[in-house]
Amino acid sequence: MSSIKRRTLLKGGALAAFGIGTGVTLAACNSNNGGGTGGGGGGELDTSEAVTVTMLVLGDKPTNGRLEAMLEQLNAKLTEKVNASLELFYIEWADWQTQYNVQLLSGDSNVDLIGTATDWLFAWENAQKGAFLPMDEAMLSSYAPQTWEQVDSEGHWELCKLDDGMIYFMPEDNFTQWTNHGFFYRGDWATEAGIPDGEITEFEQFTTYFQWVKDNQPEAYPWDVAGTNEAALTGFVQGRTEYQVIQQVTAGIYFPFHTTTSDPTAVTSYYMEGDDLLAAAELAREWNDIGVWREDAVNYDGDTREQFYAGLSGADQHHMQTFLGILHRMPTDQPGSDPKFFYWGKENNNYYRDIKTHGAMAVSANSRNPERALAVYDILRNDEECYHLFNYGIEGTDYVIDAEGRRSQPEGFDPATDSLGSNFWYGRMDELEIPSATDPDNKQEMFDALDANAKDYPYERLVVDKTMIESTLAAMGAVLSEYIPQLQYGKFSDPAAAIAEMRQKLTDAGYEDARASIQADIEALEA
Amino acid sequence: MAGVATTRRPRSLLKSAWDSKVLLLMCLPAVAFFVVFAYAPMPGAWIAFTNFNYRDGIFGSPFVGLRNFEFLIKSGQLWLLTRNTILYNVAFIVLGNILQIALAIMLNEIRLRYFKKISQTVMFLPYFISVVLIGVIAFNLFNYDTGAINSLIVATGGDPVKIYSTAGLWPFIIVAVQMWQSTGYGSIVYFAAIMGIDKTLFEAAAIDGASAWQRIRYVILPSLKPTFIILLLFSMGGIMHGNFGLFWNLVGNNAQLFATTDIIETAVYRMVMTQNNFTTSTAVGLYQSIFGFALVMTANWIVRRMNKDYALF
Repeated sequence: MSSIKRRTLLKGGALAAFGIGTGVTLAACNSNNGGGTGGGGGGELDTSEAVTVTMLVLGDKPTNGRLEAMLEQLNAKLTEKVNASLELFYIEWADWQTQYNVQLLSGDSNVDLIGTATDWLFAWENAQKGAFLPMDEAMLSSYAPQTWEQVDSEGHWELCKLDDGMIYFMPEDNFTQWTNHGFFYRGDWATEAGIPDGEITEFEQFTTYFQWVKDNQPEAYPWDVAGTNEAALTGFVQGRTEYQVIQQVTAGIYFPFHTTTSDPTAVTSYYMEGDDLLAAAELAREWNDIGVWREDAVNYDGDTREQFYAGLSGADQHHMQTFLGILHRMPTDQPGSDPKFFYWGKENNNYYRDIKTHGAMAVSANSRNPERALAVYDILRNDEECYHLFNYGIEGTDYVIDAEGRRSQPEGFDPATDSLGSNFWYGRMDELEIPSATDPDNKQEMFDALDANAKDYPYERLVVDKTMIESTLAAMGAVLSEYIPQLQYGKFSDPAAAIAEMRQKLTDAGYEDARASIQADIEALEA
Repeated sequence: MAGVATTRRPRSLLKSAWDSKVLLLMCLPAVAFFVVFAYAPMPGAWIAFTNFNYRDGIFGSPFVGLRNFEFLIKSGQLWLLTRNTILYNVAFIVLGNILQIALAIMLNEIRLRYFKKISQTVMFLPYFISVVLIGVIAFNLFNYDTGAINSLIVATGGDPVKIYSTAGLWPFIIVAVQMWQSTGYGSIVYFAAIMGIDKTLFEAAAIDGASAWQRIRYVILPSLKPTFIILLLFSMGGIMHGNFGLFWNLVGNNAQLFATTDIIETAVYRMVMTQNNFTTSTAVGLYQSIFGFALVMTANWIVRRMNKDYALF
């Protein structure tokens, strides 16, 4: 083909595309298709017509057929009770933050129930933006009476309201779990390192522990850590100061706004004020010089938990629920390792209970069957038989009950391939849980010990208006993503100068405006 | 068939459409693609100027002017990011095209048919390797503790190099990886263009006693000029768009390298990925596209001034 002919074709194609393009309206992006006018009012549940209720959950869709087998049994019961059947719609973990919000943005009327959370799934923002159906007492007590009763008896509906007084989601407020973070380490190594009873009681003792691992366990990294972990900084600051993190505001992946226990209405930031961040950064630098982590830890993305199980890492970092799993597996993988958990804020009791809306369920503003969706949720949450089916699967194939009445895996069950994967984290109930055989016998004691000194998160109801500070938060995220990883891994030769530089850039990004705006939101909450 | 003068024009348009029905049909998938993925969503770019909420939708949400663009300036990085993005793309475009042309000519000069096919396939392969995998391979080559390069240096008595904290090395690494990955694939267009050169030109050159080098210099290279210019103009539009996957997988969150490796996409990803915020992301996309559009128009205008035949439109 000659070049002239090629050009003519190009030209023609472009013109054709333009011509058609100008006539096209925005069909693909119509997100405003009614709904959102409010689901107030109750009444009798109309079950005359069979409907399918679709629940949006987070997680990878299982492909082993077990979920379908469970749903078949569950749906028989749901049909019998409220003439409805349940379907699950998965937002998979790959790029879930975007996928989740895009799914809500699309205003898909096929989704009825939306799993949400105020701390990690944008519940307040999506409620404000109109993705969830506003509900009131009449509606909830008619269609989800048991849920209404239980949440109401504890006064927790207040935690789910915007300032219009409407309820936007149903909290998982009756399920105890601890997601307070800290280090897992080995009691046997700590004892050999000369730490009394092998029990670390202060963050700085990890220097001794890590140094011992470096000197005596040539195969292992003292703390094999990967990627953008910030624990060396936050763990240190939390246990040494009375700073508390405001969980509703992120800048990039960081939480840059704080208050203090003694002045809980004054918004501040240890990224900006005081010497605590510097002290933490200097300790991190010392750790980096020891060789606590890989030189290129931030680019490394190996499975560090497996390294811990394999005895190739002296520490691992995550929360209490994960530690229960460590306690179960570690004695088999590393006999005599005596795994222990040092949680941030242990020194000064500066840590929180989990918030009541760490899991919650909303009804989609675009749902065609909000009443039936509520009824299905009420059953899943409160009917023992359905609860067990939905959470654990079919007894005998997905789980078995042992002599002590504990739930364990059937013979030949491989959690990697045989899991049920219903991922219901939006309305579990302590009373209906079957204790797991993998849980340690002293689980309750450990939980009680944590509970004895924990604080309640003071800002559960804080709704931050981000309209005016969105661009500042994004800009702050850019600055923090440049400095925090280098401070965490001790890569600055002069951390004091680096922190001063970071503070100047955060100021330029508009830190003070954002702080004042959040301050106003906190004052409004108090009022 | 008889017809009156007033109806002849539309009928002839229809008729010519009918005559080229096969061509039009072949065009259809491409047209549909651009309508669905490029033109239909275009009005949605309006979201960049709003404070979006689900209730009011894209066009009903409150208008906020340029507020969604502010963060690029507030972060103090707009200049660095724009510079890095453009410099990388200039390097990719210039070096890429030179290497692709060189490769295409070399392939053309190979006389052994099987060797030619094998070389082509081998050079094609990197294009199909996922950037995630390339990131892993790079880490295993370059890391300080266990990397292949440092292991070799240590084994031969040297001191290991902290590659992942030496920002100056990365422009070379990134450009090299990009070339390794895309050159084989990109050379296909040039190779096809060489195949399309009129055979009589080669015969005339042979009769005139041209050497291989003269044949390349005076026949092949001038014939590739239109292709080169068209490809150049096409790539101009994407000059503000980085190869996100490649940069993210090679550099990730390693802030020690940002001075020389941070491009618009990676910085924006870190800024807004946890923010449930479509408006700022759209604002950035719009900034990139408008810049690219302006650049294509300008470049095309310049080309048209120089030689009308080579311009896109």
